[in-house]
Amino acid sequence: MKDVAVLGVGMYRFGMGDAPNAVMAREAGMMALRDAGLSFRDVNAAYVGHIFASVMTGVRVMKEFGLTGIPVQRIENASATGSAAFREACLQVAAGHYDVVMVLGFDKMTTMIQQSTQGTAPENMEDSILPAGFFALWATRRMHERGMKAEHLAKIAAKNWNNGALNPMAQRQSTEPTTVERVMKSRMVAWPLTTMMSCPMGDGAACAIVGRADLAKKLRPERPVVRVVASDLQSEKYVPGHIFMGPVVGAPQMTIDTSQKVYNEAGVGPQDLDLVQVHDAFVIEELEYYELLGLCKPGEAEACIERGDFELHGRVPVSTDGGLIARGHPGGPTGLAQIWETTLQLRGEAGKRQVKDARIGLCHMMGGGSVCVIHILQRE
Amino acid sequence: MTSATRPRVPIKPGYFTVPDDPSQPPKLLATKCNACGEHYFPRRAICARAACLSEDVTDVEIGPRGTLYSYTFVHMPLFGSSNLEHMDGYGVGQVDFPEGPRVQLPLAGKKDDFHIGQTLEAELDKMREDGNSDVVIVRFRPVESSK
Repeated sequence: MKDVAVLGVGMYRFGMGDAPNAVMAREAGMMALRDAGLSFRDVNAAYVGHIFASVMTGVRVMKEFGLTGIPVQRIENASATGSAAFREACLQVAAGHYDVVMVLGFDKMTTMIQQSTQGTAPENMEDSILPAGFFALWATRRMHERGMKAEHLAKIAAKNWNNGALNPMAQRQSTEPTTVERVMKSRMVAWPLTTMMSCPMGDGAACAIVGRADLAKKLRPERPVVRVVASDLQSEKYVPGHIFMGPVVGAPQMTIDTSQKVYNEAGVGPQDLDLVQVHDAFVIEELEYYELLGLCKPGEAEACIERGDFELHGRVPVSTDGGLIARGHPGGPTGLAQIWETTLQLRGEAGKRQVKDARIGLCHMMGGGSVCVIHILQRE
Repeated sequence: MTSATRPRVPIKPGYFTVPDDPSQPPKLLATKCNACGEHYFPRRAICARAACLSEDVTDVEIGPRGTLYSYTFVHMPLFGSSNLEHMDGYGVGQVDFPEGPRVQLPLAGKKDDFHIGQTLEAELDKMREDGNSDVVIVRFRPVESSK
């Protein structure tokens, strides 16, 4: 991807708040504009991402910033909504259609649950099953094939909870250090996954301002330019055993293929990454993505976890902001929270959770188990 | 079978059979591609293989037996069910059918009843009542002899 940069980022802390979408989105958006050194007058177009809110919510929320007549488009791709919206903005800037684009994600997952009696559509067979159940199937299979233990999952969860405690925008900010024992003792949701190994329900907003890379230097000459050097989105290719009903948990080839594409585009390999964000809605996913993204060889994830390779100051830190597990996962803004974190890390502005001399970061999201979106950001 | 006297209706039509004889297991409603032989569940109109994409497909029934690929036990009530058995939780499994499809649906039993590689058989499970009818979902129960 040529000459596209993240000009600014902003967030409204994820959590169980009572602020409406418009307020959360406005605060995240204005924070991103101030961070970029821009006014809403400078924005040429906007992509909004929300999963749960009703028709036209995106356009209405954008009115909070002023009515300037710019094109506004809603993008929805389940958990990957924010990442997919970010990708559209990057493609438009790269193609020369716009100089500055706002990408705004927001959601109130708590409202969605309250509106539905059981959080599901009773006429759909697959909706009878709790999502954690599907992801637990992946964990059981891993135990069978690779000898993974529940403690490996608990160690990932403890890492993400402890990273989240260092992130002021994280939903879960434990005041005491999280241990493997505490994670293991939390309530069982779908064996072997416990509540602390699963992402929480929550609300929130996040925003990224994407624009021409030369503008980044002009607007903020004092800080490093964070470029978007690769972007890809893929849906699945059919393989025998594909599960059509319910989320497709696993879909390993899609993450492998998408990551290969972005590595090629960026001219880097997994060994060059300084930090990585993944779709860790349930910890088993993070473990699988270590291997699928090439951060370690197939079958080595457990040994790497035991060594602490993916801890905040390990070989390649993963989920540095707490991940979906601790930072939270409202839906629309989740992928943009990854961009927020990676941008701050690459600028050296990540405070207590700063990864030393971070230069290249990868952001990975899955949507409904059926699409994969990956971006690579690089400090100039 | 106490439910034998009440008509059984599927939670969603088009996914599984409801045999008139309650002692008979249900079968899954699947599709076979006549061009390449691939089988799909649930039914579809176009073969999904990139190299095929044929519209020449036939409705078939598969099952009732398959092999357990993976499983879990969810410690929450089954959504949409008022069956007391589902209040303490339910098993979920991925089941491989000899014809090819892998499906994920509820399992009958507790966590320790399940192990990867065992044979399971489909059965109908009452979710709730609707007037004079029982609303049923299909689930899989381990076949005793396969343990």
